[in-house]
Amino acid sequence: MTHGRSRLAFVLVLLALAALVATPAVAQTRFVFANESPYDTLDPHAAFDVGRVAVRLNLYDGLYRWEDNPPKLEPWLAESHTVSPDGLTYTFKLRHGAKFHDGTEITAEDVRYSAERILAIKKGAASLLSTMIAPESTKAVDKYTVQFTLAKPAAIFLAVVPEIHVVNSALVKKHEKDGDWGQAWLTNNDAGSGSYQLTRYDPAIGFQARRFPDHFKGWGPKYIDEIDFRFVKEDNTRVLGMIKGDYQGTGGYLPNDQVKRLREAPNVKIVEQESMRIMMFQINNQRPPLNDMHVRRAISYAFDYDGFNKEILGGSVERNPVPIPNNMWGVPKDVKGYTYSLDKAKEELKQARARVDRPITVGYLQGFSQTEQAATVMANGLRKLGLETKMTSEVWPAMVERMKKPETSPDLVVYWISTYYADPNNWIGEMFNSKQWGTFKASSFYKNPKVDELLETALKTTDRAAREKAYQEAARIVVNEAAGVWIYNTKYFGPWAKNIEGIRFSPVGNGQEIRWLSYSK
Amino acid sequence: MRLLALALRRLLWFVPTLLGLLVITFVISRVVPADPVALVAGETATPAQIEALRRDLGFDRPLPVQFVDYIARLARGDMGVSLFTRRPILDDLLQRLPATIELTVAAMVVSILIGIPLGVLSALWRNSAFDHALRILTVSGLAIAGFWLGIMLQLLFSMRLGWTPLNGRLPGYPPTHITGLYLVDAALTWDWATFGVALRHLALPAATLAFPALATLVRFTRAGVLDVMQSNFVLYERAMGLPRPLIVWKYILRSALTSTVTQIGLLLGILLAGAVVTEAVFDWPGIGTYAVSSIVLSDYNAIMGFTVWAGAIFIVVNLLVDLAQTLVDPRERAT
Repeated sequence: MTHGRSRLAFVLVLLALAALVATPAVAQTRFVFANESPYDTLDPHAAFDVGRVAVRLNLYDGLYRWEDNPPKLEPWLAESHTVSPDGLTYTFKLRHGAKFHDGTEITAEDVRYSAERILAIKKGAASLLSTMIAPESTKAVDKYTVQFTLAKPAAIFLAVVPEIHVVNSALVKKHEKDGDWGQAWLTNNDAGSGSYQLTRYDPAIGFQARRFPDHFKGWGPKYIDEIDFRFVKEDNTRVLGMIKGDYQGTGGYLPNDQVKRLREAPNVKIVEQESMRIMMFQINNQRPPLNDMHVRRAISYAFDYDGFNKEILGGSVERNPVPIPNNMWGVPKDVKGYTYSLDKAKEELKQARARVDRPITVGYLQGFSQTEQAATVMANGLRKLGLETKMTSEVWPAMVERMKKPETSPDLVVYWISTYYADPNNWIGEMFNSKQWGTFKASSFYKNPKVDELLETALKTTDRAAREKAYQEAARIVVNEAAGVWIYNTKYFGPWAKNIEGIRFSPVGNGQEIRWLSYSK
Repeated sequence: MRLLALALRRLLWFVPTLLGLLVITFVISRVVPADPVALVAGETATPAQIEALRRDLGFDRPLPVQFVDYIARLARGDMGVSLFTRRPILDDLLQRLPATIELTVAAMVVSILIGIPLGVLSALWRNSAFDHALRILTVSGLAIAGFWLGIMLQLLFSMRLGWTPLNGRLPGYPPTHITGLYLVDAALTWDWATFGVALRHLALPAATLAFPALATLVRFTRAGVLDVMQSNFVLYERAMGLPRPLIVWKYILRSALTSTVTQIGLLLGILLAGAVVTEAVFDWPGIGTYAVSSIVLSDYNAIMGFTVWAGAIFIVVNLLVDLAQTLVDPRERAT
């Protein structure tokens, strides 16, 4: 009896040891990406942000797509489009024979349904689209032609079109419940046509997908068979995972010291690109004494740009003096912007009619240490001018809430504006058009009828040259009046496994479009 | 019989306590200035668009109306859906529960099996070198920050030695889903390769949680044993010539465990409510990280759902602890 028991124990121990030693092998054509935000939904119409872009880029297709840097619109599901002379009607011709993952063909009806769905569920890109097209105004003219009718001419419509991800209307309608447009179902499932097809999803972990061989773009001789996008919360774990080889890619906006660690790893390469994401201080233009232009100019001269960009951030960013990214069209190249000069700042304060007799509140974001550093540099500069400051911090959702009204928004708030769509309106248009007050980009609460006019003109006409002139002129005025303090344009430092090639980086998408990638051996 | 009466009395308090907890959480989550509707609508939405969405979602109704509506649904078992993903909260919680349970059980088993004997030994060999060494260990356990320990373990065992993976529960597909507890499921389906992989993934996070739990149990056990060792009945048993191990491990331990059992209950409750920091470091897809992201996003229904879970856990665990006390110590049964 003891023999039996000890033999059983022996066998169990052997099994356990064998189990510990056995490891499932990782396929060579498998690609694993560590993401800093959770993939809490797979619905392409529920989100618009950079954090979850991998779902939209890999599982879905749009009419056009942004590729490369500087971003260019490439025909995707649509082969071409025409615009009516009055700028109100956009007609897209779809390619024939493109298929959804379930094998059915993509038609104009699917595009129409997708646009209506975005407007109906009011999330993600709806905030932009609903200002341009009304519900039930989109038409499927025939099987391969879809027509959008705008309420008024909007030059940015084309820039936003890539966000209309086309869903399989028949499939989604089949799973509609209580008029929810299939939201409860699509949050966990795949109704797309993209280069990859969903195989597994766990909202706490991430998603996996395998190559869709019938994708209309076709495939070269080398590609990635299986993609695995995972939520890995901590910067440190992502970095360690890249070094260890667990991951072949991760987000490219890590702190400078982490990028250094990765540069030293033998199996990691860093892809460096100028992105489009400006860091700035919004100044509350409505609150005295900040409603005095000279006070705002003094503040603009009080920030140590080089000290912050070159020393604290180790030269990993580019100085960006106007509220449009350096590498975007519409930037007035002759405008040099403000420099760090306490003498000039004091001069401006002397010219100011308002007295600065109270502490200036400087707001920064909890969890984003760079904003705290920037706020400290600003406070330091202001103190050297003899101005008192008070620091205040919130988590992003709470700060967004405060920035809705001029009464609750801090005097100065520092954060970034990323590329939601590649057009100057994404920055200067939404930041300084007085109609945008209450949105997080417009917490400058700036109001200038001349600038409003320029920005509205640029929105209406599709003539690129005219738009460029308007944005340049608006930028000159806004810089002259020091409506804000613009610090830098982000550089993307993307960590990738050394043997991965074919990466196509675009500021809209951050290189997470895996269909171009392959292993180099 | 007394036990049953005690249990029933406690369960009667379950509903009022939970209700009180819900009222407080409801008020606080609504009063906090962050606006989840604005987040759902997206950063680029205008105030008018946000208000339209708010009406759609029913958040423009007066707070008492919203609360009564929530409670009515809860009574029917409907925890509502997430504001952001439209997924039922109950589904989300149930999906993440096995991960938390597995981690909690592993950590507790390790800390109990190691902690209690160590506590007894350090009491027996009071003031010896062993006792002093153990004291250093327990103070470290209580003082060291969990995330630091987790990262150090990662650096040593995963990066330097390569013995364990860095994070997560599994690299690939989970075993056939029976309970959601990967070790159990793998064992039941005789999938020993996956069992081993899951065990290795569990090792570091369980160790990170077990260390402070162990420290607590050692200290409480030590104190309890020292206290009981002075008793008359121990003197009597020694005088009667009972073997030392029997006295220590059966009679003394049983009486000494009173406060330790309370601690085990508390630890169990805390861990089941979500070991947030450990889950964050090791990307363990449990309830802790779910709670944190719900709070940061102000996902009202998720916050309330999580509170129902955590509140219920604490109430039940406290009840079980009290029941265990009466089992361990007959004197409790008299009250």
